[in-house]
Amino acid sequence: MLESNAHLLEDYPDLEPPEPYPEEDQEAPPAAQPPPSPDLQFDPEVQIIGHKRSRSDSPDVSLSEAVRPSEEKRGRADDSVRENDEDWLRYSPSQGSDHAVEERVNFVKEKMLSRYASEIDGECMPVTAPNGDRVYAKLNRSEGEERLKKLDVRANSHDLISEPINILFEKLEQEAFTKTLKASTECESVPDVPETPVVHEKLWVDKYTPKSFTELLSDEHTNREVLLWLKQWDSSVFGSEIRSTSDEVLSALKRHSTVAHHQKPLDSKFSRMKRGPKWSNNTYRHSKSMDETGNSNSIQDILNKKSKHIGPPEQKILLLCGPPGLGKTTLAHVAGRHCGYHVVEVNASDDRSTSTIEAKILDVVQMNSVMSDSRPKCLVVDEIDGALTDGKGAVEVLLKMVSAEKKSDVGKETLAKEHPGRKSSKKGRHTTSLSRPVICICNDLYAPALRPLRQVAKLWEDDGVSSSHTGFTYLFNQQLAVWLKYICNKEGMKANAIALTALAEYTECDIRSCLNTLQFLSKKKETLNAFPFVCCWKNQRIVLYVRGREYISKTCLILASLIDYQEKYLAAVFFGFEDYAMKNKINGFSKFDIGSQVVGRKDVSRNVLDVWKEVFQRKKTKMERKSCSSKPFEFNSLYSLLSNRGDGDLILDGIHENILQLSYHDPVMQKTVKCLNSLGVYDLLHQYIMRTQQMPLQVYLPSIAITVNRLVAQVQKPNIEWPRSYQRFRTMMTEKMDILNTWHYKIPPQIARHLSAVSFVEDLISPLLHILTPPSLKPVALQLLSDKEKKDLVQLVSTMVSYSITYKNTKSDVLPNSLRHVVADDLSLDPPIGGFINFKDYTSNHYVLSLAMKQIIVHEVEKQKILQVNIDRHSGNESSSGRHELIEAGTSNAQSSKINHAAEISVKNIQNENNIWEARKYNANAAIVSPNLHPDKGVTDNVKLLNTGSMKKPSAGSFFDRFRKLSSKGLQSDDRTEKKEASLEIDSRPLLFKFNECKIILCGVEVHSFKGIGYVSKENFRSHSMHFSLLKHNGKKPYQSKAKMFKASAIGKLVLKPCYLTV
Amino acid sequence: MLWVDKYRPKTLDHITVHEEIAQNLKKLVTEQDCPHLLFYGPPGSGKKTLIMALLRQMFGVSAEKVKVENRTWKVDAGSRSIDIELTTLSSVNHIELSPGDAGFQDRYIVQEIIKEMAKNRPIDTKGKKGFKVLVLNEVDKLSREAQHSLRRTMEKYSSYCRLILCCNSSSRVTEAIRSRCLNVRINAPSEEQIVRTLEFIGKKEGLQLPSDFAARIAEKSNRNLRRAILSLETCRVQQYPFSSKQTIPPMDWEEYITEIATDIMKEQSPKRLFQVRGKLYELLINCIPPEIILKRLLYELLRKLDAELKLEVCHWAAYYEHRMRLGQKAIFHIEAFVAKFMSIYKGFLIATFG
Repeated sequence: MLESNAHLLEDYPDLEPPEPYPEEDQEAPPAAQPPPSPDLQFDPEVQIIGHKRSRSDSPDVSLSEAVRPSEEKRGRADDSVRENDEDWLRYSPSQGSDHAVEERVNFVKEKMLSRYASEIDGECMPVTAPNGDRVYAKLNRSEGEERLKKLDVRANSHDLISEPINILFEKLEQEAFTKTLKASTECESVPDVPETPVVHEKLWVDKYTPKSFTELLSDEHTNREVLLWLKQWDSSVFGSEIRSTSDEVLSALKRHSTVAHHQKPLDSKFSRMKRGPKWSNNTYRHSKSMDETGNSNSIQDILNKKSKHIGPPEQKILLLCGPPGLGKTTLAHVAGRHCGYHVVEVNASDDRSTSTIEAKILDVVQMNSVMSDSRPKCLVVDEIDGALTDGKGAVEVLLKMVSAEKKSDVGKETLAKEHPGRKSSKKGRHTTSLSRPVICICNDLYAPALRPLRQVAKLWEDDGVSSSHTGFTYLFNQQLAVWLKYICNKEGMKANAIALTALAEYTECDIRSCLNTLQFLSKKKETLNAFPFVCCWKNQRIVLYVRGREYISKTCLILASLIDYQEKYLAAVFFGFEDYAMKNKINGFSKFDIGSQVVGRKDVSRNVLDVWKEVFQRKKTKMERKSCSSKPFEFNSLYSLLSNRGDGDLILDGIHENILQLSYHDPVMQKTVKCLNSLGVYDLLHQYIMRTQQMPLQVYLPSIAITVNRLVAQVQKPNIEWPRSYQRFRTMMTEKMDILNTWHYKIPPQIARHLSAVSFVEDLISPLLHILTPPSLKPVALQLLSDKEKKDLVQLVSTMVSYSITYKNTKSDVLPNSLRHVVADDLSLDPPIGGFINFKDYTSNHYVLSLAMKQIIVHEVEKQKILQVNIDRHSGNESSSGRHELIEAGTSNAQSSKINHAAEISVKNIQNENNIWEARKYNANAAIVSPNLHPDKGVTDNVKLLNTGSMKKPSAGSFFDRFRKLSSKGLQSDDRTEKKEASLEIDSRPLLFKFNECKIILCGVEVHSFKGIGYVSKENFRSHSMHFSLLKHNGKKPYQSKAKMFKASAIGKLVLKPCYLTV
Repeated sequence: MLWVDKYRPKTLDHITVHEEIAQNLKKLVTEQDCPHLLFYGPPGSGKKTLIMALLRQMFGVSAEKVKVENRTWKVDAGSRSIDIELTTLSSVNHIELSPGDAGFQDRYIVQEIIKEMAKNRPIDTKGKKGFKVLVLNEVDKLSREAQHSLRRTMEKYSSYCRLILCCNSSSRVTEAIRSRCLNVRINAPSEEQIVRTLEFIGKKEGLQLPSDFAARIAEKSNRNLRRAILSLETCRVQQYPFSSKQTIPPMDWEEYITEIATDIMKEQSPKRLFQVRGKLYELLINCIPPEIILKRLLYELLRKLDAELKLEVCHWAAYYEHRMRLGQKAIFHIEAFVAKFMSIYKGFLIATFG
């Protein structure tokens, strides 16, 4: 309001009323009484005047509306409005004598004003306020002038106007009338310029907003789609009687579009521009809207379909998205109006919490306005992706309504058909369904808040012109420039076409931004110049022309002599390419710079794939051909592109991944070396920044990608792959490291401590794999092996055990069938160390053991493990170092044990229960004998418990010494030094084991399992057959008073677990 | 058990390869005065063996009775607390750990955990020694900060805690730490020493070991004793009655690098470089350290190279390895080296053969 009034006021500056008060009394209700402070009063007063004038002087209301058709937009342009206001305020006092009068009147009131005429000496005049108060003001010319001067009011020293007020009014009216008449005729002829071109106060963006559908700047396809979609609502919104007209419109549209198709886009001066919007090929899009992008026949199809199907379109919501400044909002408004809707806009500035928005939407879609404007409403939700929470509210409400609609559609389809318009009002608030078109506008289609909406809405991307569509950009820039030129001409602003093209390019075809910039420049009385920035190669020196000045000679000197920061920057950029220029015999560059004049560049971030494409692809435009190349400009745009994108790591990975796939001319690979070097520099720099936290240095990172671009960029479109290999490498390496580490932990510390994870891979694995697969081993029954082979096998098994390697099934298909002979199909090493030498395209010459052999080895390894575990148990120590020490202790005591040989035989004959106790006592004794061991608490408890009932055998110590000896033999069967003694001693003597669970496994099959306590005589360790005496069976009762001997000569495996010892 | 482990000398007296050092250490320990020690030397030279033997000399057999402990420590790091997982091997008298495993958090290990360990006096004061020993492996992997925090610990608790540090290269250990330690350099065993060790094992195992075969193994082992013994055992497994012409199975990763080198020599183009990159990734995936890859690759390339170019190629290898150590993504630098080599070689070929 304010702004428009102000603007009207400017329209008729000479008609400023000389004495407003008497007239004001009649119409203006606000206080016309001279207020205490003139400054405050000034503004509203004039506003009132302007308002009044506009009403009274232009009786044609619609005309005045036409003058300000887009008042909704004003809210957004708050700043500029204020600017305008301020402008106006600034020079308004000097506008005419009328102001002087006003000022004076206002000013006079301090002393020269009185309620009573008698109090004022000299001439006076009555002034009446709207509330009836009447004051008398003194009329004193000379005094007033003096005061004005004193107070430094910039008023003219004019008198009251000599002409009577009514004449003035007549004049004013007449003039206003002619003006509007003129304007209206102008409107008809040139609809874009409704005002006289001298007028600057209105934002050009608003001023040149398209008023009708045909004026839309945005792409024809897009426009048509929106219109079509809106037209599909006609049947349900306006009822069937309007269908015929809608058909007419459609056919008209069809005609229009076909005509438009034949037109060259450049022919029409500014109306139709190819903007390259895409129809996103979403699968859920309805087919009928799909196929009519290409051929105009499809419109006919829709017509046919429409006649059959009357309801609202399939997608109730239209989602319109694209970068800012392309005219999405304008399109929505214009299209809505065009189709006869009253457009209601909800944008980010409104309260968009769920409850309020719901009420609002309901108002829009269900109610009809009772006021004069009874057109059906069309909701435009602008900036729906804006704030996350806010947008969500709106999205939720919309979704709810859509889903409700779907349900009700299914249920009451017929009803909906009969009364499509009043359906919702009948049902009331419960089924709030959409019965009016809703257009949502967003910038980022893939904002998370919009995800659900994308599913239900009809959508397309009005994605403007990203510079990836290279040829196109140029064309469009040209078109936009032509249009801008037109506006400039209208506005009487000088601007050359090249500069305008540069501007369009610079703003990335943001129309709004272009217009604002132009208006700003025109306000500053500047002309948009693309100042030529020329660099020449002259007499072995670089000559640089910046803004007409010439800079020669050394780089640093030039840099120092350049005044402007911008210039310095450009120059610095420039000399980066000195080498390049030399080599390529380029004599000079030129560039048209806009940046120094335009306030700012758009801060957009691009998809990372686009970034890579930019890096690898050289632009081939006309511009480039004209001037040798526009290197600095490319540098700038690439630089900002890369730095806007941010995640340099990803970008560099992508470059690294794809660079070798490019086909650039590189005979001796120098370019490749350079590229990889610069990648290396990036790595170093990045690492340095991360280590020292010198974040400011990050500004240099993007330039590395630019180097690459300079070196390898090609005109052809690169085939870019997403960088995966580095990530793959990272994950796989950590995986393998984990394998190594877990393996490392499993290996007993005596061995593991000598190896680091690195030396595992470096030194150990290859030989180890050879050692584990001796080709000499034959898969035959153990009994058939020769001594030497047995020894080899034992050696192998002990290696495997000490490195805690085993075989395991690669397939878990061991069928529990009756035979149980079915073992897995294949066995592989358990820590999968084979993988460490399994390089791609590499065949190692490792021998592979046969399956049968592997099975045998597995059994042996298992057995060996069990034996070790048991020995560990008996020694009461879990750590294997304890075991070793025990063994040592055992061997040292071997001699003494011999002496007590006789006693030991008696020990053999003792009752089994005693044996058990002794077995326990052995534990206790072992703990006592070796003081370095940690006493096992459980064992000592047992000893306490048992000591009460058991007698201590004097020979116990020696018995257990022998026992220890045995175990040592069992383990280190190949220890030659001790062999003879052992075989002498142990032959007939049993070993005592206690087991929770015994399994006798014969050739892989479990033959018998039981719980119990048994003897295992020493001999059996060798032959792998076991004699053991069962003392206690399944934990229930002693089997016999004396040990019963089981003979199982061919037992392959004995699985043993400790048992409890209640007798 | 592998022969490497089986014939590992357990006491200082049994040590054959570094006999002199062993005797010196023995004297040092028996005189009851043990400074901090820093063992450094190439892999497979016997540092850990010496350290273990030394510990045994100090504390007797109890030093061999160790238990593995994997513990998570809570460390206060300013405002938050960090969980650090650390595996230690400990006996009554000593603790062994690799602080470098914690990566960039190694500072906390040194500042908190090692300090904590060093602070606690050994409980068993009746023992022979009045101190306990902390064995820190791979000290050269410690960050600078961690090393700085270590030096104070070394001084402060030196009365009842000795540190034995072990690393491959002393150059990555700060001067301050080196000056606080008795530095013991463990050379890689000479080939004669390796041959002698192999013959000793052969005798013990009752093998007929031809001396020239032993010499070949020693030569191929790159003066790495561990590798030599492993090779011997491998050969034994593959073909027992040794023949002097018997092939010694190579390290698979070395073979693979040889393949890469052949690839590079055959063709020099970005396309080939791309293939090479894939192979380099393969090596890296299998945890082969990039430095070793680069070194080996250089070695392989030099073998096939014209003498004229060797110097230049070596220069560039050093250049790129330096960058690799400064940087983070090793693949960039190895690849850059390969590209550089290709460029040089191709230029050379064109210049020579037209």
